[in-house]
Amino acid sequence: MTSTTAARTASSRVGATTLLTIVVLALAWFVGFASRLFAIVRFESIIHEFDPWFNYRATHHMVQHGFYKFLNWFDERAWYPLGRIVGGTVYPGLMVTSGLIHWILDSLNFHVHIREVCVFLAPTFSGLTAIATYLLTKELWSPGAGLFAACFIAISPGYTSRSVAGSYDNEGIAIFALQFTYYLWVKSLKTGSIMWASLCALSYFYMVSAWGGYVFIINLIPLHALALIIMGRYSSRLFVSYTSFYCLATILSMQVPFVGFQPVRTSEHMPAFGVFGLLQIVALMHYARNRITRQQFMTLFVGGLTILGALSVVVYFALVWGGYVAPFSGRFYSLWDTGYAKIHIPIIASVSEHQPTTWVSFFFDLHITAAVFPVGLWYCIKKVNDERVFIILYAVSAVYFAGVMVRLMLTLTPAVCVLAGIGFSYTFEKYLKDEETKERSSSQSGTTKDEKLYDKAAKNVKSRNANDGDESGVSSNVRTIISIILVIFLLMFVVHATYVTSNAYSHPSVVLQSSTNNGDRIIMDDFREAYHWLRENTADDARVMSWWDYGYQIAGMANRTTLVDNNTWNNSHIALVGKAMSSNESAAYEIMTELDVDYILVIFGGVIGYSGDDINKFLWMVRIAQGEHPKDIREENYFTSTGEYSTGAGASETMLNCLMYKMSYYRFGETRVGYNQAGGFDRTRGYVIGKKDITLEYIEEAYTTENWLVRIYKRKKLPNRPTVKSEEATIPIKGKKATQGKNKKGVIRPAPTASKA
Amino acid sequence: QTLEDKVQNLVDLTSRQSIVKFNMDKWKTLVRMQPRNYSMIVMFTALSPGVQCPICKPAYDEFMIVANSHRYTSSEGDRRKVFFGIVDYEDAPQIFQQMNLNTAPILYHFGPKLGAKKRPEQMDFQRQGFDADAIGRFVADQTEVHVRVIRPPNYTAPVVIALFVALLLGMLYMKRNSLDFLFNRTVWGFVCLAITFIFMSGQMWNHIRGPPFMITNPNTKEPSFIHGSTQFQLIAETYIVGLLYALIAIGFICVNEAADQSNSKDRKNAGKKLNPLSLLNIPTNTLAIAGLVCICVFFSFLLSVFRSKYRGYPYSFLFA
Repeated sequence: MTSTTAARTASSRVGATTLLTIVVLALAWFVGFASRLFAIVRFESIIHEFDPWFNYRATHHMVQHGFYKFLNWFDERAWYPLGRIVGGTVYPGLMVTSGLIHWILDSLNFHVHIREVCVFLAPTFSGLTAIATYLLTKELWSPGAGLFAACFIAISPGYTSRSVAGSYDNEGIAIFALQFTYYLWVKSLKTGSIMWASLCALSYFYMVSAWGGYVFIINLIPLHALALIIMGRYSSRLFVSYTSFYCLATILSMQVPFVGFQPVRTSEHMPAFGVFGLLQIVALMHYARNRITRQQFMTLFVGGLTILGALSVVVYFALVWGGYVAPFSGRFYSLWDTGYAKIHIPIIASVSEHQPTTWVSFFFDLHITAAVFPVGLWYCIKKVNDERVFIILYAVSAVYFAGVMVRLMLTLTPAVCVLAGIGFSYTFEKYLKDEETKERSSSQSGTTKDEKLYDKAAKNVKSRNANDGDESGVSSNVRTIISIILVIFLLMFVVHATYVTSNAYSHPSVVLQSSTNNGDRIIMDDFREAYHWLRENTADDARVMSWWDYGYQIAGMANRTTLVDNNTWNNSHIALVGKAMSSNESAAYEIMTELDVDYILVIFGGVIGYSGDDINKFLWMVRIAQGEHPKDIREENYFTSTGEYSTGAGASETMLNCLMYKMSYYRFGETRVGYNQAGGFDRTRGYVIGKKDITLEYIEEAYTTENWLVRIYKRKKLPNRPTVKSEEATIPIKGKKATQGKNKKGVIRPAPTASKA
Repeated sequence: QTLEDKVQNLVDLTSRQSIVKFNMDKWKTLVRMQPRNYSMIVMFTALSPGVQCPICKPAYDEFMIVANSHRYTSSEGDRRKVFFGIVDYEDAPQIFQQMNLNTAPILYHFGPKLGAKKRPEQMDFQRQGFDADAIGRFVADQTEVHVRVIRPPNYTAPVVIALFVALLLGMLYMKRNSLDFLFNRTVWGFVCLAITFIFMSGQMWNHIRGPPFMITNPNTKEPSFIHGSTQFQLIAETYIVGLLYALIAIGFICVNEAADQSNSKDRKNAGKKLNPLSLLNIPTNTLAIAGLVCICVFFSFLLSVFRSKYRGYPYSFLFA
């Protein structure tokens, strides 16, 4: 009788815990989803930024033409005249995922446009990421910590930045795949079962198909295995899980067309293979140790290991030298040697998300979790076990990478959330352990949904570890104060995350927003205006030249052929466009004629003070052009005499005559922003431009949007008969003698400025 | 002198050493007088210790690297097209006067067609820097002779690293009976936390961008340790922020240790764990409160530093 009641209370406690867990995770999902919808609520359901436009276009193509057509898709509308093999140069996971969701909804008779699926994909996956994080943290520490971590990752700005509604990019689904792979890896390591290892390999396959960041996994997991071997924590579980994972994962990852034979042919994947080999040796040693004498074992160990180690190094270098294995790529070097990219690959260095990270962006993206995650790290080290070694390695390597590149903040965020969850749960576990009343009072202090969520997590922890011994140490008042203050910190994190998501990460960048003095929002829709103009008013096969940033948008929104786009695979082609932009008009005309350009599109922010325009990016165009054409383009020529970059009064002659300057500032001198401001005042740069009377000879203005943000020019066809300009029409007179003295007559001077020639 | 004589003269001069040291005589005939069909790359410098010129020596070293690379790697024809030379202020101050120079170092290119009175092309050290690669690029731009710069390997870094590793291994060998510290989790914990603090406070950014330690306002002469923009930071700033992160973490650990201590007292009545904090015998209440104050104060301080950089951030805690 008593045993059944005990069992019933136990089962009801388990039931309550499960219910709470599910409720908390569901709320985390909901909050994560809802907080990513700012952009949609404010504007409309559109795709953001640049890369998402290509992903959307590819998805659209796949949904229309089917998966196999998509794999063989040759896109002749990009990289004119080269074209681009899309199927073999994209990670198809994103498109397949949204295509699948679309198909399922369709077969259930929910007919939604594929665009809606694409827009809402990333927020939906943020909930899955939260669940995967919960599972991972549960394996690493405790379910309570898992709930904390899930709630953190659901709203952490570092992750929200890449997964707001409309930012339809690989990272949105990749972080889920990353966390889930890690969970399955830890699980398989703990159990040593082939099943979990195979599931891990499957999840890894999904990750490979989704994002290039999979290289991080295939190096981190071997690193973990290596660390375990060195620490003397080798076990048969490690052997089983790593070997089965490695074999399956390698074969599976080779099925993705874009990856192909890279897993066996590039240096980035070689460490995984090396650890695989090492693990076999270690397993052999363990097998041999019990069967031979110690003397023999030492001989075998030292001799065998030295020979094998030397041999493998020699073989590796022979393979690299022979060209069978590609050496490390430039992007990889730039992670270690921080000066590498700036010298050797300007196209990588020019991207703003490849810049190093300031402490401000760390704090901006992580807030309190940045301060608490070292605590979680500390306790993981103090209470280390096999799987905690993994999170330690993950955190330390990710914090390094995040320091080198802003973009890799994204891989750090999950580790930070897991460890901060552990840190908070460790404290709350200790401090919420006494009587029910105090704990309840703190849970009532909260009113917002998120705050309740945290308390539930804490309560959950408490209920598991209920331990009724009276504490003689910290008095209950102090306990209450500490708990309340920590909850206040968590509240601050929620408020911060909401503020950041709303203000910094929810701008579609296709639509600009500014506010007037009264606080009203003004929406500037110039980009779409221009792309729509292109779509309606140009020939279907018109070629549009622009800097590569806008390639995907032109292809996606205007449906016109572009020369270069954000898939920066051909540096020399980009350099050619850069050269056209930075040469003078006649030289640019030659290049544009060779490339069959019909329209040229520039972004100009001088009227409204938009700082991301082409003039500000222009130096990179010059640099990239100089890298390929050092004879014609020289960076120094574009600086003022004092060595500054300026388009103002001191601008150099080359600068004032280059195509980019002319296109940006054509007729700009006639504008007047304020009553007391001179004409041609550039609001972005904050000065009056250097040359106002710009005449165009080979191109003509086709369209300029409302706020001058996008300016489109048309390349004129070559005239049938070259016209002679009026200045050149006069015969230049050698020297000034002709106008002096008596022999004035006989010289025709149509204009007083004739001697200028 | 005929052209052949001059070229032969130069080839002879550069057969021993890779640069020509000019005096007034050689200068006039070899550089300033036509006919010439070769380019002269000449560095004007002041190497004697009497002249205060701290960057002359490094610039000269880089120049020598290019000249040596040219001598050993360029083809026979290229070596007759470009010659490297140097004018030291001590040897020939007249040349400096003639060229109207009062700064050093300066690198000039005297093209083959350059007349006696014409101004030669100058390399801009300010913008391009003066390392050997930049000089090589300048030479390539000017003369179309590509010098493959081969830097004599610098052995200092490997030697230092090797020494350090040897020292470390030696120490390990000496202490081979007590390798416990390798298994000491506290040491590893400190190492890992140090790494996280270093990178989270933006040291990598400092390493790549090389900002100043602090800046002084030119108008008020007030030093400021915090730059008022989110895109830039000062070295002092990262120290402050790293310290703040560390202090918050310490505060948090104190709070946890206080609870741990009280628990262990419950269980075993004596802190048998080798805990440095329990040895100090601080009452757990005090420890917990101290930790909490630590967290609150330093986190609000961190927030206020953040606010001073990120204008318009609305939230603060304790301090403005």
